[in-house]
Amino acid sequence: MSTHTSGWQKAGAWAAILFGATYFILPLVATFEFSLRMRRGEYSFDAYRSVFTDAQFQESFSYSILMAVLTIVIGMLLIVPTAYWVRLRLPQFRPVMEFVTLLPLVIPAIVIVFGYLRLYNSSSLIPFTGSARGTDILLMFSFMTLSLPYMYRSVDTAMRTIDVATLTEAAQSLGAPWRTILFRCIFPNVMSGVLSGAFITFAIVIGEFTMPSLLNRPAFGPYLQLIGANRAYEPPALAIIAFAITWLSVGLLQLLSRFNKARPPKP
Amino acid sequence: MSFLELSAIKKSFGPVQVVHDFNMAIDKGEFISFLGPSGCGKTTILRMIAGFETPTDGTIVINGRDQTALKPNQRNIGMVFQAYALFPNMTVFENVAFGLKVAGKPRAEIEARVKEMLALIHLEHLAERYPYQMSGGQQQRVALARALAPKPQVLLLDEPLSALDAKIRVSLREEIRLIQRQLGITTVFVTHDQEEALSISDRIVVMNAGRADQIGTPSEIYNRPATRFVASFVGTLNLIEAQVEDPDARRIRMGEQSLAIQDPLSGLKGGERVSVALRPEAATLSPTDRSDAAIPGEVVSSHFLGSVVRTKLKVGESTISFDMFNDPGRTPPAPGEQVTLHFASRDLLVIRD
Repeated sequence: MSTHTSGWQKAGAWAAILFGATYFILPLVATFEFSLRMRRGEYSFDAYRSVFTDAQFQESFSYSILMAVLTIVIGMLLIVPTAYWVRLRLPQFRPVMEFVTLLPLVIPAIVIVFGYLRLYNSSSLIPFTGSARGTDILLMFSFMTLSLPYMYRSVDTAMRTIDVATLTEAAQSLGAPWRTILFRCIFPNVMSGVLSGAFITFAIVIGEFTMPSLLNRPAFGPYLQLIGANRAYEPPALAIIAFAITWLSVGLLQLLSRFNKARPPKP
Repeated sequence: MSFLELSAIKKSFGPVQVVHDFNMAIDKGEFISFLGPSGCGKTTILRMIAGFETPTDGTIVINGRDQTALKPNQRNIGMVFQAYALFPNMTVFENVAFGLKVAGKPRAEIEARVKEMLALIHLEHLAERYPYQMSGGQQQRVALARALAPKPQVLLLDEPLSALDAKIRVSLREEIRLIQRQLGITTVFVTHDQEEALSISDRIVVMNAGRADQIGTPSEIYNRPATRFVASFVGTLNLIEAQVEDPDARRIRMGEQSLAIQDPLSGLKGGERVSVALRPEAATLSPTDRSDAAIPGEVVSSHFLGSVVRTKLKVGESTISFDMFNDPGRTPPAPGEQVTLHFASRDLLVIRD
């Protein structure tokens, strides 16, 4: 009787997995299939060729990659020391930090960007939007705001796995100044968290539409929207490219965190 | 002049004072243990010497130089932690070299010193291992080598053996003492394990509620405890109620017996009640050359502890423990059996609160 029930349960579980997989995979397969139909009567990568040869694609994609790298570097330089200090000296502020870093998840991006435009417009005290470079800087900070919940959490979780206070004291007793402690004793040990945060940030920046669109910067998100509104076969090709980039990021994340765990001894 | 001087040290965390007016002078090359239960202030004093806590009042002087206001990284003090605290991203070699690199020593000097330190702890063959690839005992030895590598003026050991299993603990404490003697480094060791403190220290500070109850050699601490707390915390102790008979002649009365004791009874009056203590190993079931006193009692229990058998006797209102060496040919007394306990009256210690 129990074998019979367990057999049904197994079949039910497989049916659920199959349904879920179909739900996710079928649209993807359909999109990919459609992206190959640019040439009449046969499958081809013409849509992809068209996308890759489009100067606007190259420009917007490299712009977004540069923005992502800057967001990750400056974000980490800000977040790692903050998370470290909160853990070391201000543990009572952890709930406050958790709340603050969660705000970008509950406040829509459009509200944040309107706030920025109001605060940093060309006639304000800090006129970020007065020049293209200034707007780029503002955009980078807005990306940092959007990725804050993921960046902070991943770094903070990595810090939980090491005894930050004792490692700091050990380094201090050996004569190390704060900079050495942070960059040689703490940072390398939270690298898995830094990498997780970095890849999630990368994915967010590449796909973000609202911020660059309203700040009028040539990022990949607005380009995706523009192509989607005017072309037939390129949008699905771009969707597949964006999907591939995201999965590449996740894959790299997995690979690096596994590499980090199983670090072999030096020869 | 002493090498390390702690003068009138006080420490409060908010309204709670955890160290009260602590004074101590430690000579160069001495091995001092701070012994006491959790929360007695021993680790706080150690952390103040290291610079991780700032005294609310008082001064810390090392080798004639006031360290009280110095930051931890300016003190040149080596510290070993209970949780090893090796840097997980560095090999054994890199961990030991860390302090020397921070000090900006030349590469050749760093290599030579690290090799010397690894030889000292007999782990030269593990130089390229990462901390997670080693046992707790090995990690703690590396932590010791790392602390000693920059030639610190004082070595601080914060319960370094607590996380290790019993056998490793004994061998490592002997190794620590050997290395300390070899290098002649002034060492402060914090522990709550009385056996550890008694076995490796030149002097012991028994801490109780933020104060030093007694400072003395292991023998003084064990054989002549100054307070009831020291007597009860260090070793096992039997407390027997007695009455002062003649304070000048140092005579007390225990039940029907009048006994001459070695401890002075100054400040006590005839007829006053007093607690006397007797170590379990100071009593026997059969009289010896030393014994001049005896108390009858009823056996409550006998416990086999390996090298000794610990027996509990009911004597009047008190329960007294005594130890006998394990003799396979002798049956331990059975519960309910009536026996007489013999001891030397000079082994009785008068306990003052």
